[in-house]
Amino acid sequence: MSQTFYDEVQEMRARYPDPLSAVLPALQLAQDRHDGWLPEAALREVAEALDLTPAYCLSIASFYDMFHTEPVGRHSVEVCTNVSCAVSGAQQVLEALERELGIGVGETTEDGNVTLRAVECLGGCGWATVVAVDNRHHLHVAARDVPRIVKELGE
Amino acid sequence: MSSAPEVVFAGTDGGAITDLAAYEAVGGLTALRRAREMTPEQIIAELDASSLRGRGGAFFPTGRKWSFVPKPDQNPRPHYLVVNADESEPGTFKDREIMLRVPFRFLEGCLIAARGIESQHVFVYIRGEYEHEWEILVSALEQLREAKLLGGVTIVLHRGAGAYICGEETALLESLEGRRGQPRTKPPFPAIAGLYASPTAVNNVESITTVTPIIEMGGAEYAKLGVEDSTGTRVFSLSGNVVRPGNYELPHGYPLRDLIHEVGGGIADGRTLKAVIPGGSSTPILTASEAEKVTLDFDSLSKAGSAIGSAAVIVLDDRCCMVQLGVRVSQFYEHESCGKCTPCRVGTRWLTHILQKIESGRGTHADLDLLLDVGDRINGTCLCPLGDSDAIAVASYVAKFREEFLQHIEEASCPFHGASSLDGIVAPTDVHEAHVGPHEIHRPLEVVA
Amino acid sequence: MSDGVKVTIDDREIEVAKGTGLVETAEAAGIEIPVFCYEPRLGPAVGACRMCLVEVEGLPKLQAGCTLTAQDGMVVRTAATSKRAAEGQHGTLEFILVNHPLDCPVCDKGGECPLQDLTFRYGPGSTRMTFAKMTFDKPIPVSPLIALDRERCILCYRCTRFSSDVAEDDQLIARNRGAYSEIATFGEDPYRAPFSGNVIELCPVGALTSTQYRFEARPWEIQDVPTVCGLCPAGCNIRATTREGAVKRVQSRNHPEIDGGWLCDKGRFTYPHLRAEDRVGEPLQRGPLGLEPVAWDAALDRAEELLRGARGTIVTALSGSETNEIAYGLGVLLRRGLGAHSAVLDESTSAALDAFRAPLSTIGDAELVVIVGDDDVVDRAPAVDLWLRKARRGGAEIVTVGARGSVPAPVGGAADALRELTDPAHDLGKRLRTSERAVLVWSGPGGGGGARLAEAAHKLGFDGKPGCAAFHLPATPNPRGVSEAWAAAADGDESDPEPIGLLVVSGDEAAGSPDVRALAEQAEAVIAITMFHSLAVGWADLVLPATASLEREGTSMNLEGRLQRLRRTVISPVPDELAWLSKLAARFDAELSPHAAVVFEELSERIYGGLRLEQLGEHAALPARAAYVAPEPSRAPGAEAAQRAEGHFVGTLRLLRYTPLFSGHQVERVAELQFQRPEEEIALSSGDAGRRGISTGDVVTVRSNGTSVELRARVDRKLVEGVARVADEHAADLHAEVEVVKA
Repeated sequence: MSQTFYDEVQEMRARYPDPLSAVLPALQLAQDRHDGWLPEAALREVAEALDLTPAYCLSIASFYDMFHTEPVGRHSVEVCTNVSCAVSGAQQVLEALERELGIGVGETTEDGNVTLRAVECLGGCGWATVVAVDNRHHLHVAARDVPRIVKELGE
Repeated sequence: MSSAPEVVFAGTDGGAITDLAAYEAVGGLTALRRAREMTPEQIIAELDASSLRGRGGAFFPTGRKWSFVPKPDQNPRPHYLVVNADESEPGTFKDREIMLRVPFRFLEGCLIAARGIESQHVFVYIRGEYEHEWEILVSALEQLREAKLLGGVTIVLHRGAGAYICGEETALLESLEGRRGQPRTKPPFPAIAGLYASPTAVNNVESITTVTPIIEMGGAEYAKLGVEDSTGTRVFSLSGNVVRPGNYELPHGYPLRDLIHEVGGGIADGRTLKAVIPGGSSTPILTASEAEKVTLDFDSLSKAGSAIGSAAVIVLDDRCCMVQLGVRVSQFYEHESCGKCTPCRVGTRWLTHILQKIESGRGTHADLDLLLDVGDRINGTCLCPLGDSDAIAVASYVAKFREEFLQHIEEASCPFHGASSLDGIVAPTDVHEAHVGPHEIHRPLEVVA
Repeated sequence: MSDGVKVTIDDREIEVAKGTGLVETAEAAGIEIPVFCYEPRLGPAVGACRMCLVEVEGLPKLQAGCTLTAQDGMVVRTAATSKRAAEGQHGTLEFILVNHPLDCPVCDKGGECPLQDLTFRYGPGSTRMTFAKMTFDKPIPVSPLIALDRERCILCYRCTRFSSDVAEDDQLIARNRGAYSEIATFGEDPYRAPFSGNVIELCPVGALTSTQYRFEARPWEIQDVPTVCGLCPAGCNIRATTREGAVKRVQSRNHPEIDGGWLCDKGRFTYPHLRAEDRVGEPLQRGPLGLEPVAWDAALDRAEELLRGARGTIVTALSGSETNEIAYGLGVLLRRGLGAHSAVLDESTSAALDAFRAPLSTIGDAELVVIVGDDDVVDRAPAVDLWLRKARRGGAEIVTVGARGSVPAPVGGAADALRELTDPAHDLGKRLRTSERAVLVWSGPGGGGGARLAEAAHKLGFDGKPGCAAFHLPATPNPRGVSEAWAAAADGDESDPEPIGLLVVSGDEAAGSPDVRALAEQAEAVIAITMFHSLAVGWADLVLPATASLEREGTSMNLEGRLQRLRRTVISPVPDELAWLSKLAARFDAELSPHAAVVFEELSERIYGGLRLEQLGEHAALPARAAYVAPEPSRAPGAEAAQRAEGHFVGTLRLLRYTPLFSGHQVERVAELQFQRPEEEIALSSGDAGRRGISTGDVVTVRSNGTSVELRARVDRKLVEGVARVADEHAADLHAEVEVVKA
């Protein structure tokens, strides 16, 4: 697997006038291949493929919300709680998810299946409340939709 | 709905055009063909004639921005067009819909703009959360490539990874270059030294998408729409406590009250309008009566002490506690602060804490004065507008709804008693704060100077 | 001044050169614009901390003064005359202090802390912040050398900028974002890089502190002594902080032409070796029971006895780390006093490069730099490595020709590489000829002390082009100074005595050399002047304790050809060499002053044109170039090739030994530096490793002619084929050709 990762990253590098620009897509690919987060080994792989230091890759990964340097559940459920979603019932959606999943916001279920988060504006303000399940956006979510969403997560 | 002419969404009939042939059938690519017969100077002249101003929030004249990019004989470095598709301003979701429904019009605009600044290389920086929209663009780009329409221009679709600050143009460039997304000082300006220290024009998605119809109809024709200092149409994002939230393309100068009550269907559940944030969370809030008077254009909103910003209209009804709004908005800026400059990094978090103290009923009058003073120390001293925005937004809530802040202080509790629409809302920083220092000092430390 | 600009600051008018930064402009007018993140040596100003906020007429918002350049007619107001600027600066300090702990009583930075000073001058005297300050585990080790206190950190990013933009090691980084940003390394990895210690000096607060200096002293009870580092040929200017007669730390003294204010970790952190446990504290004489301590007078008696006894058959092994005065003193004693003119020095020296003399900073401004030789520049003269990086950042092309070069070359091929470059048809050579800013560097053994390089520079037309220079990097700090001072002591020819009646080994560079050891085995008697027990035990008959360079008054000549003054920072526990050399010389009717200043005067009359010590000053100047004088031609060119050709068996690899920066008798004795010591590994090219089925991390057996060593393998993508590279200290007695197999 490591060999193809290296090769894929070389292709990414070739797309940019300055290969350093490939660090973001490389981190995205590495995260996808490491169960949705970036353990030290993943950061080392990215560093190796881009001729960077692991420390540099860490400084980039830790800056952005979509990169996780701690283990995450197999699925991620992210509820936007910014203003428009908030006034449209986002907290009720969040609390319903907490109850349905049996965890608090920011936590992962014991079986490692789901991580629940509150996030900032997902850019779906007119379709509140927006819930991103594995980065696919569910729109107009209300508390009553929660059981169905959780059921679809399986396990 | 309104019967205003559609320019950005023309030909879509409420739907999406994701097939090249279908796009051509409604007149797509006409502008590109015309542009390829024009010189870069002529293209820029057309943009000047249209008076198109940036649709991201800065509202800077697009033609003028392109004219700042030096000619290749003045600066031999490669020229770059960078499209800011990092839409993250709370309340804003129009670029998303544009990419979803008119991807070809957008990409056509990229190609025309590239020609205008004599660039062979376009980067579209799209926020990482817009995965579906990215896929749409990938497919559209592939169709253009297969149809050999790119004309030697490389378009790279680059995904962001979740950082509001990357919507600031120099922070976007830093991020695109593979660094932490922290803004740069200006000068140098991106037109001279932008991406990879080369001449760069950074434009918003909607601006670029509008370039296409401008070339099609001619700049002067476009300028007939809208009002004098804000020509053309604008895609307004309407959200919050309205019956029909959504993106609506309307001419500039459209009355805000009509957007809310006519197009938006008015306030739901029999509630009353309390406040409107007219241009995204970074713009000063308007009271209901102020909102009834303004029109959606640069001039009217500026005169009202606010701004058109990203044209994101957030409608708040009488269930919304303004102090809680302050908390939630400040938490947003605290979370998104890049951490480079001192006033924003420290100040946004401090503002949040003071607001939380007031919101919880533990605040004093001195705290309110402190809140405004800290805001004053932030506003105008930061490296980029993020910190300023927190201070400006919060200051406007206090200015327009001071009695509500005073009630929290004097009654030692939120007058909504748990019934506010924002009550108990959990923000990402709330989760983070759980790991940070626990003990509060009950008496400030006096250090004798 | 036709290209000057007039600026008005706080109603004071000042004219400065075009392009001058506003902070420097204000300084020139005697006005302070306070700063934290501003440090021009780190690159363009970032305007991050907002400490430097000033009012500029015509601009509505306060401006970050550090990002501005003086413009003609600019009118600026600082906190001194602008309430807004004062409030802005006050606000910045207030924000910084929001989370800053009141650690001053226990913080090493206290008393020399810009945050303390600026808060006193521009900041609040009390706090309005009543919330919990952010707390962190503290201090945490960034490395055995550096402690990090995240509570004190003001996130000015000077340290991370140094790591990424100057040293380019990218090991110290900022993690997370916004108020939750932290300075960190990767995981548990220490900051392991040659220049890490500079972040301690850069840090404007007590966030990054030296573990060696922790709680050792307060700024008001120390004395700083200016001197020059004696650990490598760069001769970086340093300042030794002393307290109660002991060196407590070493800092940079910024010679803009040599070190630019930076110091490598070897120069910075090695001083504890002065107090090593196995330091020789008194003379030792070999008796029936081995080496026994003996009083100085008795030791000098014994020395006199040995010297008289061996008259005519004395050879002196010099160290390239002595001062000019010690080398001269030895010359006075041995050559003038005893007619013993024979000496060995591990390296050749040459004055030919004086025609292409230039400050090291010339490298930083070059557009093309070509480095020949198999050794990494950072191992020989770390300061040069930083100049090369600066040059590259400025757009220069750096070409390395060697076993690990961008242009691969066989081991020992530096001279051949130069010959090729001077061929009129050679492309790179042509570029060197036509450039006004080209630099040649020789980084490796041989080269005739710069003679080969000088010949090449001359052929390439560097003469008369101040932007073109050539630098030979010797292996020791002062070989040329030592050899010229020795030569100046008397007239007389070498005789190469056989057998050697007495070998005088001066200094630990010589004491540690296997060639000198071989001579010692032949010699009938040995006098060793050495600092440490373990180096002299076994083969010296008389051991005289040596001093360290931090304990010496004197002069030395760096690789630029610049003469610099060393000052005694602390009194050594043993007598200075000149003290007993003068006594010993007197016994042989040779006059030698025990005072370095006087010795220098005499030496200067002979070879430095009568230059006076005071003329060297605190930041010595580099003399102008001399006219080119062709050096002695090299020995038969076949010599090196012959070495290569001997005994080349199929399947064997040429062993390339190198001396890593963090090796040597001083470094070995400093506990905090052990983590920087070289790994016990052998580097192979990808091809050679692949053919042997070896990957990085495999344990391998390295064999040659009867000896073998086990090491870990590392695949080095830059290494040329046919070569195996090992640190000298791990290569034991391996010969030039080795077999490497998986263990």
